[in-house]
Amino acid sequence: MKHIDEKAIDEEIKWAKINEDVLRHMETPRKAYWIALATSFIMFLVGLTAEVYQYRYGLGVADLNRSHMWGLYIATFIFWVGASHAGTLLSAFLHIIHAEWRRTIYRFAEAMTSVALMTAAIFPMIHLGRVWNLYWVVPYVSDREIWSNFRSPLVWDAFAITTYLTCSLTFLYVGMIPDLAICRDNARGWRKKLYVVLSVGWQGTDRQWRNFRKTYMTMACFLLPLAISVHSVVSSDFAVSLMPGWHVTSFPPYFVAGALYSGCAGIMTLFIIMRYFFRLEDYMTVNIMEKLCKMTFAIAMVWTYLILAEFAAVWYGHNQADKEVLLAKFYGPFAPYFWAMMFLAVVLPFTLAFQRLRRNMAALMVLSILFNIGMWLERWMIVSPTLSHAYNPESWNMLWPSIVQWCIVFGSLGWFGMIFLVFCKIFPMVSMYEVKEMVFHQKKDLLGHKHGHSHAGSGHVVGKPSVEGA
Amino acid sequence: MSITNLINDWSRYRKGAEEGGFHEYEHQWAMVVDLNKCIGCNACSVACYAENNLPVVGETRFAKNQGMHWMRVERFWDEPDLQPYVATASNSLDAWIEGNPPAPRSALKPSNPAPIAEGMLERDGKGFNEQFGFHGTKSEYQDFGGSFLPMMCQQCHSATCEPVCPVAATYHTPDGLNAQVYNRCIGSRYCSNNCPYRLRFFNFWSYYEDAWPEPLHMQLNPDLTVRDKGVMEKCTFCVHRIRVVKDEARMENRKVKDGEFATACVQSCPTSALVFGDKMDPDSQVAKLWNAHQVKQGPYKQTKENKELRGYRILEGLNTDPSVMYLERVREV
Amino acid sequence: MRKKYSVMGLFSDFEEVFCALEDIKKNKVPGVTVDDVRLMSPIEHPEIDEVLGERPSHVRRVTLCGSLFGIIGGFYFLVTSQSDFLVQPQGGKPVVPIPSNIVLTYEMFILFSVIATVLGFLVLSGLLFGKREKLYSEKVGVDQIAIVLDLNEETYEPIKALFRQHKVLEIREEVSK
Repeated sequence: MKHIDEKAIDEEIKWAKINEDVLRHMETPRKAYWIALATSFIMFLVGLTAEVYQYRYGLGVADLNRSHMWGLYIATFIFWVGASHAGTLLSAFLHIIHAEWRRTIYRFAEAMTSVALMTAAIFPMIHLGRVWNLYWVVPYVSDREIWSNFRSPLVWDAFAITTYLTCSLTFLYVGMIPDLAICRDNARGWRKKLYVVLSVGWQGTDRQWRNFRKTYMTMACFLLPLAISVHSVVSSDFAVSLMPGWHVTSFPPYFVAGALYSGCAGIMTLFIIMRYFFRLEDYMTVNIMEKLCKMTFAIAMVWTYLILAEFAAVWYGHNQADKEVLLAKFYGPFAPYFWAMMFLAVVLPFTLAFQRLRRNMAALMVLSILFNIGMWLERWMIVSPTLSHAYNPESWNMLWPSIVQWCIVFGSLGWFGMIFLVFCKIFPMVSMYEVKEMVFHQKKDLLGHKHGHSHAGSGHVVGKPSVEGA
Repeated sequence: MSITNLINDWSRYRKGAEEGGFHEYEHQWAMVVDLNKCIGCNACSVACYAENNLPVVGETRFAKNQGMHWMRVERFWDEPDLQPYVATASNSLDAWIEGNPPAPRSALKPSNPAPIAEGMLERDGKGFNEQFGFHGTKSEYQDFGGSFLPMMCQQCHSATCEPVCPVAATYHTPDGLNAQVYNRCIGSRYCSNNCPYRLRFFNFWSYYEDAWPEPLHMQLNPDLTVRDKGVMEKCTFCVHRIRVVKDEARMENRKVKDGEFATACVQSCPTSALVFGDKMDPDSQVAKLWNAHQVKQGPYKQTKENKELRGYRILEGLNTDPSVMYLERVREV
Repeated sequence: MRKKYSVMGLFSDFEEVFCALEDIKKNKVPGVTVDDVRLMSPIEHPEIDEVLGERPSHVRRVTLCGSLFGIIGGFYFLVTSQSDFLVQPQGGKPVVPIPSNIVLTYEMFILFSVIATVLGFLVLSGLLFGKREKLYSEKVGVDQIAIVLDLNEETYEPIKALFRQHKVLEIREEVSK
């Protein structure tokens, strides 16, 4: 077998070239970028049209009914909240454990987190009957002393998502300040003005770096539990309710694992897209992709275990109503979607065990998209079977989502793509200073490895593990 | 947002349903439905439509289950083997007298056997997957063996719909009712999802636009609103009638009398299968029935001395603590 | 009135910078201590702490304040607003339900911690409206590392000599009275 160099990045790369490459991507992406942007915009318009139509005539056009009060909107909401989780995992968790390979890809992963959350946040609004009264969910001081209901998991959602969006955006921003300073030094025109404001006077002084290091680590430590709490709270929408198939104790960890899984698959897709669009092959290397694949595989297995454990719990718990919902998934009207989900999200990840596949970008592109389709189906299979088959037999019915629902779900993808692609064009999607650090450390480790203890005298330079956030 | 208020009344604010709850109840409006008396005529449902400005949604929307019947009569074909009593040579009185008793019901062969799915939960003699699965067919209705279940909001004392509303549009009143504030509702529909009885109805459309073409709009009840799209609604136990009676009683400085008024459905029931009243008034018919059937508000499992008593509450085991007691239907065999 | 000098030396070799700092530390130029040194670098390297000595960073104190505010303020806000909203006994639950308040308090704790951390960072590291270094080279953003010192007439020349000794690429200076 051919020997594969395990290095995450070529450490001989010149630092000036790093700046150059990254700054160039913001100016001149490949033509495919513009095609993708236009496609996203058209998809967004399709969704917008559907939403305007629904807004005018009421939610009836979505083919919801007395049993199916929620539908694809909430399923897609969970999907997008889930997609936002892997960014935090990559940037915060891997930062805490000092995984060097995260450094070239965490920026766009974080951007994906924020944009996916913005996409997720529109779904609870779209699905509201009277969206113009949305602000009643916010606990604001009013003369009549009316508050939102703090018992409701939907209010927990509102709190959790606001917190998560605020925190992930600031985390993304703080991590970007040194890069924005580089952009400021090199930009012209409107970009210059923007970066001057956004870089808030970063000069890279030791005082700034020292505070930066502490801040970044502290924020990472807060982001990680936050991310986990956010999807637990989303799972509470279901777990706190009384319905068969929703009232499941294992939902919080199951949702978190599912979120990380679909998020990692999303990052794989975007990895390949970004790498191609912005010609970042030197930074987003195959070796990093391989590590990402391994991580995805591990998380997929955790999730697979949890979903099987959930079925087992329902099956052996022998609660009739719960069991009937499970059977409705197994061989009822939902069977094709359920088994498609099982194939795409449970069976297919085993292909990641093969190195040849882990290093094949085209195959991974297809695979990662299939994983995400599987995970989207999984969310739908959480929401709809229970709704169609709850306690009261009188209300059992099947109503498949109408074209309006599908258009809005489709449109959300466009909304995500649109914001994300514009974001990539304005902000550096590879962290320049972190790549330099990565190169610096990698080179140092290599030197230390070669020369052993010969440089022990100048111990602060060679072979010294980095001590961060002490 | 004052802390003194909190400290003074902490123990009161921390009282859950188990400790009697926060409310000092003024009334506990409750209902009794005697299934023995229900003939499934749907008069209650019609009365409800007329009283509460419920829109008639039209065939297509109704077929999509977007109907707005706060009061509905559910029909279950729960005894598919049941046959009409037809005197034949073998089961006639003469045969009996001659010493040939009729065969037991279970031995009788139904003429049109309806398939029975495995499992407890069935509708029209079929399980969920048989009805909606790939090989499911449109259910064929039996000729006999149906039973009727009038269902209106159960006004649960531990209502599952209440705590999940993000804007607190539904809450428990000191009258023991589960109130829905239309003005406050933003239409997140979580309440309906969490209602095990599926007795909440959402305005998926602006029904008023076509539900009452002129001159039908003249029949709208002026005592309550017509709801627009995006609002959840449900049976209120005719709260506007309750209000009128309470106000009158207060003006005359007396208590509300039992039987002074009834909800629209109770009023229109031809067989008096529905009984409505204040359970806190020990002399009321409702309170007497609840006591007679040894059904208590509060527990999720009734302990009855006499197991033969027919009273029960629907899905009581879910600990929703409903205010409607049903009296089981008993058939002669 | 004595003249004041600001001097910035730009280096490309990180090891040389560390050596230069060692020299300053060893007091090779009297009157200049390592505490006066301001370093500008393109990357974050923890090794700097070893040469520059421990310099305090108080970001986490601000974080602590934010956290405490989030926990105490959040819980206080929830509990008191619930106790004012008495029309709301729901689902047989108490007026002030502790479990749901824990969830929300947790979110507020994180929210205010993060906001406090970021604000603390911006203020403590002199960003936003803080004072800027007058001498700044764009090359710091690329691959060079800079030592900035405020000097007087005695120390001005020796420091420049020290810089040259450690292969400085460029020296920029500013004179003020």
